[in-house]
Amino acid sequence: MIGEISHFLSLSAVVIFCLILIFNFFFIFDKTHSNQLSLSLRMFNQACWLVFISFGMYVYLSINDDFSIAYIASHSNSQLPIFYKISSIWSAHEGSMFLWIVFLTVWSILFINSLHRNHPLKRITLLMLSLIILGFLLFLLLTSNPFERILPFGAIEGADINPVLQDPALAIHPPMLYLGYVGFVISFSFITAYLFHGNFELEWEKDIKNWSLVAWIFLTIGITLGSWWAYYELGWGGYWFWDPVENVALMPWLAATAFMHSLYASSKSNVLKTWTMFLGILIFALSLFGAFIVRSGIIDSVHSFANDPQRGLYLLIFSGLITLLALGIFAYRVPSLNVSRFVISGSKESYLSMNNILMITSIFSIFLGVTYPLIIEAVNGEKVSIGPPYYNTIFAPLILIASIFIMASLDSIWQRSKPFKSIVSSIIVPMILSLIFTYVVWHVTAVFSILSYIGIFSGSLILFSYLYRILSNFFYKKFINIGSAVAHIGFGLLFIAISFNSILSYEKNLNLAPGETILIDESIEEFSFDDIKVLKASNHDVISVEVSLLQDGNNIFLNPQKRKYATRGQITTESSIHASILKDTYLTIGDQLENGSWTFALKINYFIKWIWFSASLMVMGMLITIFKKKAI
Amino acid sequence: MNKPLRFLIVLLPIIIFSFFAKVLLVEEDEKFLKFNAKNLPSFELNDLDGVAVKSQSLDGIKLVNVWASWCITCLVEHPFLTKLSDENIQIVGLNYKDSSDKANAWLQKNGNPYIFSIYDPRGDLAFDLGVTGAPESFLLIDNQVIAHIQGEMTQRKWETIFYPLINKARKTK
Repeated sequence: MIGEISHFLSLSAVVIFCLILIFNFFFIFDKTHSNQLSLSLRMFNQACWLVFISFGMYVYLSINDDFSIAYIASHSNSQLPIFYKISSIWSAHEGSMFLWIVFLTVWSILFINSLHRNHPLKRITLLMLSLIILGFLLFLLLTSNPFERILPFGAIEGADINPVLQDPALAIHPPMLYLGYVGFVISFSFITAYLFHGNFELEWEKDIKNWSLVAWIFLTIGITLGSWWAYYELGWGGYWFWDPVENVALMPWLAATAFMHSLYASSKSNVLKTWTMFLGILIFALSLFGAFIVRSGIIDSVHSFANDPQRGLYLLIFSGLITLLALGIFAYRVPSLNVSRFVISGSKESYLSMNNILMITSIFSIFLGVTYPLIIEAVNGEKVSIGPPYYNTIFAPLILIASIFIMASLDSIWQRSKPFKSIVSSIIVPMILSLIFTYVVWHVTAVFSILSYIGIFSGSLILFSYLYRILSNFFYKKFINIGSAVAHIGFGLLFIAISFNSILSYEKNLNLAPGETILIDESIEEFSFDDIKVLKASNHDVISVEVSLLQDGNNIFLNPQKRKYATRGQITTESSIHASILKDTYLTIGDQLENGSWTFALKINYFIKWIWFSASLMVMGMLITIFKKKAI
Repeated sequence: MNKPLRFLIVLLPIIIFSFFAKVLLVEEDEKFLKFNAKNLPSFELNDLDGVAVKSQSLDGIKLVNVWASWCITCLVEHPFLTKLSDENIQIVGLNYKDSSDKANAWLQKNGNPYIFSIYDPRGDLAFDLGVTGAPESFLLIDNQVIAHIQGEMTQRKWETIFYPLINKARKTK
């Protein structure tokens, strides 16, 4: 019964959103609209609340094990802890789409109600948001209905959540990522409304600034959590695989980052406004494209949901129409926008716009990497695969150029050109330091890989420029934007960490019987296989292995496991990680061999922690920017 | 912003979206059902344990799965192949452009659904079969190649392409 009510509430929301659109359709060009607005607003709020209540009931159903609902029966189980019963809702296509819509309505309702009562763009933004929510709700209810019952008799027990998803990081990774993805619906709708409205005297930058910053933070946290989860849960020992799904998350992230910089520049000077608007539209368009790629099953990936061309086609048409609507209005209005076309070279905004171009280039490169195999297949039926070498090769030079512009922009000023001579002094110090640093790394590690060294050099350029800037701020009271400095230091560290990780890490495959001890290398003098046990947990059996290591003079105990989940029969490998500041010792167990010994994969991963740390620095920098009063 | 550029901003998404629509609409199954049966190319290779394998040893109904330890999608389809082998489907691995050490370690770590794996480090047999990458799967019935898919073996591909063919072959016997 509750299932039907929940279903009915979602349907009612659809009806109300339809009514809002139909009702306003007749007044769309009418600019005196106070009555329609207050009615539409009330309807909009009610429809959003219907969606929330419907979702709340769905959560209730999942907690109370209503296995007569097909989706819950195939993704949850009565033995699961409550936490995972809830997170099982977003462990597959239908439920995660539902969550996506809920977040869409959360952002929309908050933003719409935060706007001033008579804000001239309020009505059109509201219509745009209603259109987008309506499209997704219809998608949910028509092609992937999570409310479907198993009739006439429900299942007695659920089929359980996929075990690799039974993990705290993964329970919160999708919500964070979705909050980020759909958060940009605000900049998308607001910019479209602004362009549609046609009164270009209006201010729009500051109304969406903080919303976009918050969405950016969620997106960054979501991507980092996903990467972290993949690192310790999948047992492959890597943190980024250039998988299509990772790529479609990275594209909006890059667009959002460019958007943020551009927004900052356009609030300081009259240039780059066109860029900002274009980027603001692009972010959400890329999010929609990502949703299409992941949910249509058009590309084989670790993440892809069930392959269903019908869903794919709906999403494609819907996201295509929304994107075209926004880009069409943009292209139509651009000539009448009163923006200055000329960016003074050598000014701060000139460097920012160069980096905008670089970021668009990298988005395009990723886009090409994702779609190229499809294009080739459509043209001559061949399958090609594009992997990490492509992305690494493309990104290294882009990052090098970007880091040089970042460095140059630090000492430059808005709207005025600064002679090259005057910024030389602040460039030369970080440049020399980075060269020395790179040389020292080369000397010490004695490994050479051109891409990694480009990464180290670019990363340290950014890092040293900002550190130098902070020092000069301390001694000569030069201005510094703390939020930006923290975020960029995080960005620089990220490249250094990634590059170090790729040149230093190594892997060993071992073969040991219980009780045996072996020597591995200078750093790991003893590796002893102490004990093996079989344990029972609530919904799985565990083979638990105890291993002790003598690593760099310290005793380390590792406890990798293999789990066999009862309901699905799936076996998962739980890696055991000992993390120190510089390196992770990452151990997974394989199978038992005929002679009774076990196989182990031992990986020494350097600087992994620094990758997470740099991501959190970037988030922190953004938070500082939000809470600092004087920003923009 | 000049006119051609404005035009392009609208045109480019249209091209991209219609391209995807075309890819979606070409029914996947159709492509595979048109497959023309051909004879299994003759070969003499070893398996991963060093035992010689000839084309004649692949008689009866066999699913040939191209895999490699460097292939991430192979890891994704692995549980499904394991399920098939539990259902008594005979799967022969074709270890493609790999080293036998890494391949054996991979099998030890992830489990071995194959009755044996042909070791093809240079991709000779794979070339004759028309393999373009990993993973790919072929269906052999009495030394005839009668189906070929590229990419991950999924429940859907199994049910729509392979299972009906196997059923038909079993019935005629």
